[in-house]
Amino acid sequence: MSSHRLFRFPKPEWLNGPNTRTAGVYLAGALFSLGFFFFIDASSYSKSSLNGSNVHIKFVDWIPGICSALGMLVINSIEKTRLSADSYSYSGTGVAWKARLVLFLGFALMAGGLAGSVAVMVLKYIVPGYPTPTLYFGVANVIANGLIMLSSVVLWVSQNMEDDYTYNLAL
Amino acid sequence: MAAGLKTIIALSFVLAIGFLLVILSSALFQSYLTLLVVATYTIAPLPNFICGRCANPDDFMESSGSAIIDFGRFCTGFLVVMGVALPALLAHSGLIQVPAMVMSIIGGLLIYGTIISFTMFFQEEQDF
Repeated sequence: MSSHRLFRFPKPEWLNGPNTRTAGVYLAGALFSLGFFFFIDASSYSKSSLNGSNVHIKFVDWIPGICSALGMLVINSIEKTRLSADSYSYSGTGVAWKARLVLFLGFALMAGGLAGSVAVMVLKYIVPGYPTPTLYFGVANVIANGLIMLSSVVLWVSQNMEDDYTYNLAL
Repeated sequence: MAAGLKTIIALSFVLAIGFLLVILSSALFQSYLTLLVVATYTIAPLPNFICGRCANPDDFMESSGSAIIDFGRFCTGFLVVMGVALPALLAHSGLIQVPAMVMSIIGGLLIYGTIISFTMFFQEEQDF
């Protein structure tokens, strides 16, 4: 297996263990929660009496977060082994193609969420030139979407780790 | 286990301190929103238990069972961070005060640590 590796540094041993994988899944949940609550914090702050301005978080601000979460759901609910299913004869025709299409949709949703949060921040908060407590709504939106994306990456990587582990076990 | 009784006494002591901190943080400042922390930390280990029940631990190769376990872990991680993030959120939007936030976070972490230690001791007993 090591002869197929691309890089000259060896893969560290702890990356393959089941404990790292478990920690990765926990970390993904924690990151998702952190991002989610950043945005909830911004929206509850916009409703509270501390918000001096008359700018509030509306449904427009929620759309990027919803897109990111949907993209994360789509990406991580795909069966990873189907992505290279064309090399096996028993997996039917075009399974890999369909899996890649759905995966592309998921990545597009997630990237769209991140880009949309930046767009909301720029168009709604930076261009009108609001001061800091109001600008925080836009910044929190970007942070939330970035953390959801990071959480998805961690979940993806740790699920791929699991494949290596079970493969070693099966041999 | 020789240290069993001492451990249980210490754990219940820590649990009582945790509940004391959370209840003080809500009662001293007359806003009972910090009790949500107790609820969060109490239901935090539940997804792990339920999903561990649902998945069949016998077959390694079945990926659907592993996905259910992963989902449970994801939910647990979500709820643990939620227990810290919720008081911070409430304090930031002015619903509770900052000392109440600190007390409820510390109390919640103590409660959750107790639950986790109890689970670990029980699992150690079940293995043998």
